[in-house]
Amino acid sequence: MKKFVGLFLVLAVLVIIPAVDSVFAAGDEPGEYLDRRVIIWNLFFKMMTIAFVVGAVVSGTMIWLCWRFRESHPNAKPTSYEGTDW
Amino acid sequence: MVLELQKPRPIWQIMFSTHHTDVGLLYLILSLSFLFMGGALALIIRAELFLPGAQILGDAMTFNRIFTVHGTTLIFLFILPFASAVGNYFVPIMVRYKDMAYPKLNAIAFWMIPPGAALVWLGFADFTWYAQPPYSIISAPGPAADMWIFGLKILGISSVLGAINFVVTILKCKHPDMSIGQVPLLAWSFLASSLIILVAIPTFAAALLMLLTDRLGVSGFFNPAMGGDPIAYSHLFWFTFHPEVYVLVIPAIGMMYEIIPRFSRKPIYSYNSGVFAFVLLSIVAFSSWAHHMYATGMSFTEKTVFMVGTLAAVPASAMHVFNFIATMWNGRIKFSTPMMWAVGGIALFFSAGAGGVANAAMPLDFSTHDSYWVVGHFHLFVMGTIAFGSIGYLYYMFPYVTGRMYNETLGKVHFILSFIGTILVFFTQHVLGLYGMPRRVFDYPPIPEWIIMNQIVTVGAMIIGVSMVIFLANMIYSSGKGKLADTDDPFGLGGKYYYPFEAKNPKH
Repeated sequence: MKKFVGLFLVLAVLVIIPAVDSVFAAGDEPGEYLDRRVIIWNLFFKMMTIAFVVGAVVSGTMIWLCWRFRESHPNAKPTSYEGTDW
Repeated sequence: MVLELQKPRPIWQIMFSTHHTDVGLLYLILSLSFLFMGGALALIIRAELFLPGAQILGDAMTFNRIFTVHGTTLIFLFILPFASAVGNYFVPIMVRYKDMAYPKLNAIAFWMIPPGAALVWLGFADFTWYAQPPYSIISAPGPAADMWIFGLKILGISSVLGAINFVVTILKCKHPDMSIGQVPLLAWSFLASSLIILVAIPTFAAALLMLLTDRLGVSGFFNPAMGGDPIAYSHLFWFTFHPEVYVLVIPAIGMMYEIIPRFSRKPIYSYNSGVFAFVLLSIVAFSSWAHHMYATGMSFTEKTVFMVGTLAAVPASAMHVFNFIATMWNGRIKFSTPMMWAVGGIALFFSAGAGGVANAAMPLDFSTHDSYWVVGHFHLFVMGTIAFGSIGYLYYMFPYVTGRMYNETLGKVHFILSFIGTILVFFTQHVLGLYGMPRRVFDYPPIPEWIIMNQIVTVGAMIIGVSMVIFLANMIYSSGKGKLADTDDPFGLGGKYYYPFEAKNPKH
């Protein structure tokens, strides 16, 4: 459980820090010229890359889970809870 | 559980009953009726946007009325009442109490919905489900706007009464031997969402009163001509309705927490993380309302705070997804219809969340604000996650409610068509938004990319429409003439689950 909480915290930091960083880069700082369009689309592509990578991992895991642990799979075996009151 | 349709009774006995399963049945029938009515409006909207120019609706005003009532109906008259239906049926059984804490209040909360719904539908207002000021104050026509305001007021009070009932039932009426840490996650989801309602709704109730007095001309809270500020309304509205997103999604996740372990044939991987994530979500629900308003001239610091507040929901949402995956791992999964809907709902929940994370970044939000990206994003939540979880649970509870089984093949066809349709509609709408198409438009310029994407979206919507007709036929036919269900184990999963024991006792 602690490992999972740690993992989620790491993932959250990985998402939040680059996002905040890019937002500051988008700049309300006076005197600095930034092409906001470029910044925005850079941010979009970066975030989409993260989203698609994480999405591919999670979706791939779910698809594999559904295939491997379906009840008709040759290696499927009853869980220890079947036939009991739980 | 009482098997209402298997043992027919005069309709008035059910209508004037205060028993939780009778009120649950009323909620169920009402919510499904409005699902089809609101869905029909969605098909009209999509038919209109199939091509540029006026297609089937004569003018923009009619279009505005239709999407206003579509949104209001599906949020307030389908999703919320459906959750109440499930809560009414299962929460007292799960906490092992004879009924809801306040049965008469429960019936009153239900019977406030039909008049509220009548006001919304008979008025047919045109100012969006957000009641956009200053338009809603200055020029929204006639009694329609006032009827919408009164209708929403009534529906809001109904939600608050229902929430009070759920909180008291779960916290004060649970079996003395049952600690709060043993309450099933579905009941926990109702506790979390009810607490959000109690905190969030009063703000909108106040905003509605202010809107009404503005319309009457006796105040100018949101009227710039009288020194008021429409942005103040935005804050009040989103303080209620961003948390409301969680009010809608948390019970749907709770329903998935019932389905996933049952059909995986093993208990939930981590009950504690599920509870923790519900509590966390109900807190961070209040930290992100202004992310709807980045474009309104807030300071940079405010925007950053709300961006981080929005991203704070990610860990809690991810905990639910990982909990589902870990539960399915090493199970022996039976892909009956409810499980297919639940797994599809989880996949789409993840997709919607990923889009939300991208959209929470304020520079990107400026590009996508008020575009079809937003429409795609929130519909992926309400349809892909909430409706999928809810419909899956409806199939799951069907044999317990009716004593009969639905047609499994038709249920699976319903899922497959809906899943394909949902992806076609809402993924494409994201791209359409990136191509710059604004939301809430009756007509659009004949840009080839816009036309083809609108056509894909419309075809997807029609596929969902066909699947819903199959669903309706299946429900009506099976509730009267379906195969009799074994209410101990209707899905042939082996063993006995915890609440069918209670369900067999009509007196609870």
